[in-house]
Amino acid sequence: MTDSHVTRRTLLRYGAYGAGAAALAGTAASWDRLTGADIPGRDDGSLVVATLGPAYGPEAIRTLTEGFKKVHPDIKLRINAVQATDWSDFFAKILTQIAAGTAPDLVYVATEGVQLFAQRLGVALDKWVKRDAAELREYFADVHPSLVESMMYEGSLYQLPVEFNAADMYLNDQVLKRAAAGFPAADWTRDDFTELLRDMKKSSGSQFTPYFWTNRLWGGVVPWLFANGTNLLAESKAPGGAWLWDGFYPSAERQGRGGGFRWTTPQATDARVEESYDYLASLIQEDLCTRPEGGNGQNLIGVFSTGRVGVTPAGGFWAGGLHLAGMEPGSFDVQYFPRWRTQRMQFGAAGYALLRTSKMQDEAWEFIKFAARRDTLMRLFETNQTTPARRSMLTADRYREIGPRHWQVFYDTLDKFPDTGPIPAPPQVAEVEQVLLKHTGTALSSRRSVGPALRRMQRDLEKAMERDV
Amino acid sequence: MTNTQVPDVRPPRATAASAPPEAPVRLSARDRGTRLLATLFLAPTIVGIVVFTVVPIVGSLVLSLFHWNVIDSPRWAGAANYREVFTDSTVLVSFRNTLVFMVLAVALQLLIALTLALAVNGRMPMWLRSVFRSAFFFPLVLSAASISVVMKYLFNQDFGVVNWALGLIGIAPVPWLTSENSAMAAVILVYVWQQFGFSFLLFVGGLNNIPKEIHEAASLDGATGLRKHLHVTLPLLSPTLLVATVVGVINALQVFEQPYVLTDGGPGDSTRTVVMVIYESAFEQLRFGEASAVGVLLFVLIMAVTALQFRLSRRFVHYQ
Repeated sequence: MTDSHVTRRTLLRYGAYGAGAAALAGTAASWDRLTGADIPGRDDGSLVVATLGPAYGPEAIRTLTEGFKKVHPDIKLRINAVQATDWSDFFAKILTQIAAGTAPDLVYVATEGVQLFAQRLGVALDKWVKRDAAELREYFADVHPSLVESMMYEGSLYQLPVEFNAADMYLNDQVLKRAAAGFPAADWTRDDFTELLRDMKKSSGSQFTPYFWTNRLWGGVVPWLFANGTNLLAESKAPGGAWLWDGFYPSAERQGRGGGFRWTTPQATDARVEESYDYLASLIQEDLCTRPEGGNGQNLIGVFSTGRVGVTPAGGFWAGGLHLAGMEPGSFDVQYFPRWRTQRMQFGAAGYALLRTSKMQDEAWEFIKFAARRDTLMRLFETNQTTPARRSMLTADRYREIGPRHWQVFYDTLDKFPDTGPIPAPPQVAEVEQVLLKHTGTALSSRRSVGPALRRMQRDLEKAMERDV
Repeated sequence: MTNTQVPDVRPPRATAASAPPEAPVRLSARDRGTRLLATLFLAPTIVGIVVFTVVPIVGSLVLSLFHWNVIDSPRWAGAANYREVFTDSTVLVSFRNTLVFMVLAVALQLLIALTLALAVNGRMPMWLRSVFRSAFFFPLVLSAASISVVMKYLFNQDFGVVNWALGLIGIAPVPWLTSENSAMAAVILVYVWQQFGFSFLLFVGGLNNIPKEIHEAASLDGATGLRKHLHVTLPLLSPTLLVATVVGVINALQVFEQPYVLTDGGPGDSTRTVVMVIYESAFEQLRFGEASAVGVLLFVLIMAVTALQFRLSRRFVHYQ
């Protein structure tokens, strides 16, 4: 470039541009701006705990942080309530955080993700449980072994369950009265259930559906499969776990326990699975139940509380939900899921999983213990938004003001039916769930569709289970 | 903007008479300054496009050649992800669904938008015209997810307002979201209801740009009503129609929120779209390589469809 054409004026203009640009750059550089260090809890030495946002409001977060600070003033704690529509969405967001290098130390994980986290991301708690056995004896004495077993994977324990929900049957009292039907007995059968739906339908108008259910892994088709003595995937127990059972549970409760559940071979074409789907298809055909609707049943509370639905499967979490929706304690009640070939019921539990990437594993263990303490859970679950994993917390006092009358059903689902087990959730759970929901939708379009749809489900499940996570 | 505000930065064109063609063209200091200034102004946009568009596209392309589950390091896969995609019935069905959705949704969206634009552009008080314009555009500024949640309630088979209203005139409840036959129709209706406002505004603008004299001349020649619209308005509106179609097609091929919230892709796979498959493969099933391969194929499809539209436009679009 020659300078023969650069006039003084041009030079001054470029000088001004340069000065302007430098001033802008300088100003920008001096501004306070967000960096990775500004992400709450990141790089400030805090123990970061990721929880499911909708279940952990500001009050719950305060309970955990302030309570933990009193016990461990030396450990900084940050609760990161991740907003998500369901567990699958929650896990997706946690995995994105892990991919971004901002993994939390602890993640609140439900049955849906226990094996996925255990296999790929989690740290077994065995060494700490053994070390603090004396301190934990009271906890295990208060928590049903089925819940603990559901948190084990290949012989090791990965979480201490703090809550669970079994699929029991909620009944609307107003609808029962309208149908002149009595409250069902604890040992009611599938046929009793069908008759009750027919009575409800006869006594109600066209804008009424006797049985409502949501198409999802927890509480959808699976409770019917369990009641019919089958499962979506062949279920067995992993060896091991004796270190825990022998150390914490009396011999009667150790019986048949192992190192956690294994869900392996798909069995969607099993005769009993087909029979279960055929039964649900017949209910739909008779207009006694809804077609499978996806989602998390957001609109269910509204239609149940206004008497447009008679019966629906839900867990202890619904007691608080119905109370908030304005239902009086005597206007609804709960009973066990009806008996078919068995009265085995299904549940999902949740607790905190410790991630391998955590650099604060000892501190994280202290939080796990704190979160499972009775006084912590008493404060955390004040509004009955779930069923506490501790048996001693389910008392008449807790349910006196909000109902239901038969609140004992929640924990007796475990105590009186010890074969009650977790929903099938292998490490490939995301794909398994998607396949289940997809083909359930088509299977129940008519009774003729059941067989072909289940064959397609079997094929897709086999493919899903062959994949490495 | 007038021409005087836009400096001509092109070098003076050399002619055979004034200078030999190979002679280097020397820019004046003023032109060099203007060019530098233009570059400075363009730089943020270019950097933005490179960082937020080019890099992710290249990243997806690279990732599609690896197996990656977020947790472990990526493993080379070569073309395996593409082979998997082409044999995965869910992916193939999602492409079919997306194409069906695109054709029906865009056609309906353009038809409604054009009809309403013509109606609003007719004889109508100015204030009423403003009311309609705002009302039709309003759904577009709302979140698609929020709208879909509300629509899910409205379309509920047993408790929804839509079936309740149909019941008043004796029509049996329609399983809008739970039947393979009607779920796609419901998703399209919700999508079009939200999206047609954009095409509507484009058409209103396009109609206003058509000189009144042409319509007057057509009227003098005896053209009336539909004939005038078909032979005068539509040809003159064709450039706007092209833009509306291209944007509509690109948006429709990337539809996600409505089917995700309304039906979760069901019943079966009947409303599962390509972007849903990408989301599910990546963030639910941790198969980022396959998800990227599907993303690359969708990118190619969008490019191909857009190129085809521009090619066809040469025959159908008339510029004044």
